[in-house]
Amino acid sequence: MRDVAIVGIGMHPWGKFLDKTFVDMSVVAIEEALKDAKMEWKDVQEMAAGIWVWGSVSGLNPGPSITARMGETGIPTTNIFNMCATATNVFRAAYNIVASGTKDIVLAIAADKSPKGFFTTVGVPDPKDPDYLRWRMIGLTNPGYWAIQLRKRMEDYGTTERHLAKAKVACSRFGALNPRALYKKVYTEEEVLNSQMVCDPLRLLEICATRDGAAAAILCSADKAKKYNARPIIVAGVGEGSSLYGDPTARLGLVCGPVEASAPLVSESYAAARMAYEAAGVGPEDIDFVELPDNSSWHYLQYPETLGFWGPGETERMLDEEQTGLGGKLPINTSGGIASFGEAVGAQGLLQIYEVVSQLRGQGGQRQVENAKVGMTQTYGQLGNSATTILKI
Amino acid sequence: MTEKKEYPGEEGLFTWPSDQPQLIGGRCKVCNTYYFPKSFVRHKPDCKDRSATEDVLLSRKGKLYSYTVQYVPSPPPAVNPDPFVANPIGWVALPEGIAIPGRITGCKLEDIKMHMDVELVVESGGKDREGNDVLIWKWRKI
Repeated sequence: MRDVAIVGIGMHPWGKFLDKTFVDMSVVAIEEALKDAKMEWKDVQEMAAGIWVWGSVSGLNPGPSITARMGETGIPTTNIFNMCATATNVFRAAYNIVASGTKDIVLAIAADKSPKGFFTTVGVPDPKDPDYLRWRMIGLTNPGYWAIQLRKRMEDYGTTERHLAKAKVACSRFGALNPRALYKKVYTEEEVLNSQMVCDPLRLLEICATRDGAAAAILCSADKAKKYNARPIIVAGVGEGSSLYGDPTARLGLVCGPVEASAPLVSESYAAARMAYEAAGVGPEDIDFVELPDNSSWHYLQYPETLGFWGPGETERMLDEEQTGLGGKLPINTSGGIASFGEAVGAQGLLQIYEVVSQLRGQGGQRQVENAKVGMTQTYGQLGNSATTILKI
Repeated sequence: MTEKKEYPGEEGLFTWPSDQPQLIGGRCKVCNTYYFPKSFVRHKPDCKDRSATEDVLLSRKGKLYSYTVQYVPSPPPAVNPDPFVANPIGWVALPEGIAIPGRITGCKLEDIKMHMDVELVVESGGKDREGNDVLIWKWRKI
């Protein structure tokens, strides 16, 4: 395997774009990435694309629609869907194609357009499918699962409502400093705690809004990278994981799980992160900042522990001591996170990569992490799949 | 066609009609992994025979492992009470070593307590468009 660098990044703004197709949004992200890499579309030798699951057959097969718009060049296009982990798995596919020596320049692109309100079941109703049953027979929503896991955490570690609010406040402080964030308001704990209770103990401002968005990255063999970008960012390691037997998490999309733990919580993310650490030859102590999946305040509390930054139940104290902001022990979600962008499920992983690359290039503006050398991105993932990247200068 | 007054939201998930309804799950006889529903079979990674499964009627009684209260109606295909009231949902630990979610019934919201004893009942979760009751499993406080 050879070294791989990121030479171009691009994004379409996050928001609600009723008059735009996922192709319209993809092209904006791709063109920004091409410009960033001082590259022509014809230089791209292969493409991995994220599937837009609500988009009928065109959404399930985005590659040809995107190449049609960009101009058909006959390149291989692979389409990938892995829930919240989609865009990072697209990135991993592109990485593997370059690392293996198959192609020198590969584009990773993912776009998503979200339906309004709560997600519900997709596809043909099938009573053998637990994800259908949890809707049909219980009405258990995604934030409902997170709230169930969160209440257990509150019992185990004494997490308070104020900690949940602090997670949102911490993200909003970063979001306010990011010109590309959708929500730039800095929230107070009181404002968060006054928002509507949705899935007790999670309030409206403590769960992700669903939005549209698209992001792209261009990967290149490291030995050729300087030709396209004076500051190529090295892909130190990528990881992808599925769940471990005995993980007691109330797992999104299932209606059954073990009671006694013989594996870590969100073990799919644990597995993905360990794979990335091993590939990169680094540990949590080497990571300068992280973009993690703040789908809810519970995620914000859980993920630093899953990634090994500190022990179980310690994120609350880190929030109390403001250790997750600039100058703290570990800046979390310098982009502002899902809290400041909303979630375009299939595209979110590449938005995280966009932020980490920006920081490593020193383009973080007012939210720049000082001396940023190694950054990490981590996704969540329905039913037990997840993906991680570790990027460095 | 006979007019339906009430019917299970899906067939084959619990014994019905019954005064003592039970969820129909499954178990691997070799690696002893329990699961629900019976269609979503699970095994240990080192299981020596992934065909050695059997249907199992799961315990009716369990303990509340954790819960949430949803303050907004769930989207279709869920059914909701009309008028909508806050919807408590529990994750209930059974003696088989697995936990199964379901709506909580038989008590006020303020009486829901972690680790409380619950038992399985089959009740209406709401009505369909024709006004028939759609039956779902719930956990009732004992």
